[in-house]
Amino acid sequence: MQVKVLSEHYDKPEFQGLEGYKKLGGYVELEKAFKMDPKQIIEDVKAAGLRGRGGAGFPTGVKWGFLPDNGEPRYLLCNADEGEPGTFKDRMMMERAPHQLIEGMIISSFAIGSKKSYIYVRGEYDESIRILTKALDEAYKAGMLGKNILGSGFDHDMDIYVGAGAYICGEETAMISSLEGYKGQPKLKPPFPAIEGYLGKPTIVNNVESLAAVKYIIRDGVEGYRKHGTEKSAGTKLFSVSGNVVKPGNYEIPLGMPMKTLINDLCGGMKPGRQLKAVIPGGSSTPILTAEEAMKVNMDYESMAEFGTFLGSGAVIVIDDSNCMVDLLGVLMHFYHHESCGQCTPCREGTGWLNKLVASIYKGEAKMTDLELINGISNHMMGKTICALSDAAAMPALSFLKKFREEFEFYIREGKSKVKGSSYAQMHH
Amino acid sequence: MPKCTINGQEVEVKEGATIIEAFKKMSEDIAHYCWHPGLSVAGVCRLCMVDVEGARGPQIACNTVVREGMVITNQSEQIKDIVRWGMDFHLINHPLDCPICDQAGECGLQEQYMKFGKYDPEMGLQKVKKRKVVDLGERVVLDSERCILCSRCVRFTDEVSKTNELGIFNRGDRSEIGTYKDKPLNNKYSLNTVDICPVGALTSKDFRFRQRVWYLKNADTICNGCSTGCSVKTYYNEEGLFRVKPNHNEDVNGYWMCDEGRDLYKFANKESRLLKAKKFDGSTWEEVSAGSAVKSLSHQLLETIKETPSKVAVVYTGQFTNQEYADSLKSFDGLGVNNFYHWMNNQASKDEFDGLLIRGDKNPNTKGLQNEASKFSGLKKLENLFNELESGNIETVFVMAPENISAYPEYESHFKALSKAKNFIWMGANQTSCYESTNSSNTYLIPLKSYVEKSGTFTNHNGTDQNFNYVTTLVAGALTLSEAMTLFEGQDLDFEIRPKIYKTMKNNHFTSDRGEL
Repeated sequence: MQVKVLSEHYDKPEFQGLEGYKKLGGYVELEKAFKMDPKQIIEDVKAAGLRGRGGAGFPTGVKWGFLPDNGEPRYLLCNADEGEPGTFKDRMMMERAPHQLIEGMIISSFAIGSKKSYIYVRGEYDESIRILTKALDEAYKAGMLGKNILGSGFDHDMDIYVGAGAYICGEETAMISSLEGYKGQPKLKPPFPAIEGYLGKPTIVNNVESLAAVKYIIRDGVEGYRKHGTEKSAGTKLFSVSGNVVKPGNYEIPLGMPMKTLINDLCGGMKPGRQLKAVIPGGSSTPILTAEEAMKVNMDYESMAEFGTFLGSGAVIVIDDSNCMVDLLGVLMHFYHHESCGQCTPCREGTGWLNKLVASIYKGEAKMTDLELINGISNHMMGKTICALSDAAAMPALSFLKKFREEFEFYIREGKSKVKGSSYAQMHH
Repeated sequence: MPKCTINGQEVEVKEGATIIEAFKKMSEDIAHYCWHPGLSVAGVCRLCMVDVEGARGPQIACNTVVREGMVITNQSEQIKDIVRWGMDFHLINHPLDCPICDQAGECGLQEQYMKFGKYDPEMGLQKVKKRKVVDLGERVVLDSERCILCSRCVRFTDEVSKTNELGIFNRGDRSEIGTYKDKPLNNKYSLNTVDICPVGALTSKDFRFRQRVWYLKNADTICNGCSTGCSVKTYYNEEGLFRVKPNHNEDVNGYWMCDEGRDLYKFANKESRLLKAKKFDGSTWEEVSAGSAVKSLSHQLLETIKETPSKVAVVYTGQFTNQEYADSLKSFDGLGVNNFYHWMNNQASKDEFDGLLIRGDKNPNTKGLQNEASKFSGLKKLENLFNELESGNIETVFVMAPENISAYPEYESHFKALSKAKNFIWMGANQTSCYESTNSSNTYLIPLKSYVEKSGTFTNHNGTDQNFNYVTTLVAGALTLSEAMTLFEGQDLDFEIRPKIYKTMKNNHFTSDRGEL
């Protein structure tokens, strides 16, 4: 069942405002954190095993530990550019509990010694931006931000930066470029942001959920936080379940819960008369699972890895038997083609090429050998570029073809969808 | 100084050097487009992949620093496969219009395909259509479909010229190089973007469609456009010079040169040259060969000069070689002449410097002239000569006229003013219409060689002596100053000045040396 740590009060409208938030335990951990040694907070976050909730799952405390210990100015950026198709948890967090994020960010900034932080929100999130702006205003007025916060001697300023809705700006170095006023394109690594990030200064970029979770590590302590989840996937996580389930939505569950429980029990299973066909477990870029695999896998980093896929951002896209996989891959390839920043050649050319090839299948123009070509292109896009967008496009292509190959072959051979029985031309013209 | 092993051979590199620099040091082949030694690392073409022992996977050589003991190879089957595919990614949307592309023959895509690609093309779908023949500025044209988005030109305008006219617009495979509205690519170094463009996307308006590069030979020389003295490569064939590109010279010009310097080859070509010597006796012009003109001049004036050397003035410009200065000064000194004048153009701006390459002194060898003249009686200001001419103290004037007449706006007026001398000998490389308005009834126009037609030394602004060698002959029979003075002294040249025989049929020389990517 759901374990509501972060989302405990999300259904209470008053949790959105400062007053209600404080009544429900808000900003208590901030005061507690100010009494702690910042280094101890970093150690606790490490020990609690919090892993980045944005997608890569990199241990948050370890990331913080990369900062140079030289007292240079440093920045904390909150990655609220939630762009991975299927993901909508950060949006809910910002809209229901803006102060939870702000508090988590102040504690994190205190831990890493940052005097300035930014929340980089994707441009489409109008409501989030409005609510965050209001909350930030409240926090400043209440002395939670600015000089000498709560008499601690710690100064911190926070700003909201609105992106323009580019998927690539969710990649941390692209976000930094964008924040600096440049075109949102990833930067070469090394140097890594922890050494040279925003404006050339040490910078930490963390996801909304990761930063909010820091509050609860302070509240519950390392042991308390680790009460949920598994050894390597500690704590709870929000999952955005979408697709053909009865009750789609955001669910906070302890890591390690079987996907079967999430889909069948929490989400009410498949829509009447429909069979589970496949699940994209962690956002559109993660390799797809067959129904059989989905019923075996657990919602944690290790189990996903065993099945050759990733927990990603926590976007579970549930697909039933009324869907044509060729169509679905077409949608994904169109997306990645549209979103490639165009910097690295394999991704710039590869995403366009894949998109055209998949489209040629449902336009009835493909040859059987094109399937091998799709594999070849995808394999040579993987791990060859500055950031992971290239991999993000290649992984679904490879996994769709591997697991649902007969649907692709059928489409090429028969000129129509195996599932829908009609062709693209019949459907669209 | 870390040591590493590149394809089985050990090499020691500078601290902080990258793997690609180690490859370059070893002259080992490595595929790459975006990396350029004179620019920052972009790491976007993804072709310079190498295997590093112990690394997680293939690394890009341009952004990986060599560490002690690294074992690196790009000869593994995996790397070769990655590079082949990398080539294919570059070429799927490329128009492959080599037959009508100016870059053909010196194109990075062609060369690297032959070296690292050689796969069967896989792309059978419609290519991305982009803008063609985009006018980027005064000198550069863009073909976006040919562009492989290596970003070298963008980085050049960002980091070197610091003018930032270029950017990459749009995303993904719709990305295109472009300029901002009303901000064309009009900086003084814009043609460097054409040089560093590894494909035919950026072409020079001056050079495009005029020659196929395989019909051009090239040779190194020194630019004569200003006192910086950039190392350059001239491209030529029997029809003349066609273009000039910079040569890498860390001490002088790095990898670059200015646009102005690239135009100067035009003054060396036959079209703007004085092809024959001309004599004017007050009523008619006579065309003779340079050699015989100097000889008849010698018959006419040598004795007079020896008798009254104080009535002779010699005007120098800073456009000749040290050897020519030394020889001619010595000759005149031997005849007793010691009135040497320095015709300095743009006196007011001569010490200007734009911080990169362009200097206000538009002569390649002002330093050399001053050095050589100081060994004799020194140089006087040209203004004094005008007075001397007015008062009749000077009867005979020799002028060693400039070759780069674009830097001498006063060329024609000075010609007229100096031609008030009774005997007027104008030695220069260029033909202009002002010669007919000479005031002297004893005028000699002696054709001299241009800078590509002789060997010698220029001393640049900071005193660096730079030697350069003969490139080609453009005007048969033209003389160097040294040769002219030897003849004037009544001696024969120790070699024959033989007009070069131009073949009636075009003889094309295929050259294999086409510069480096």
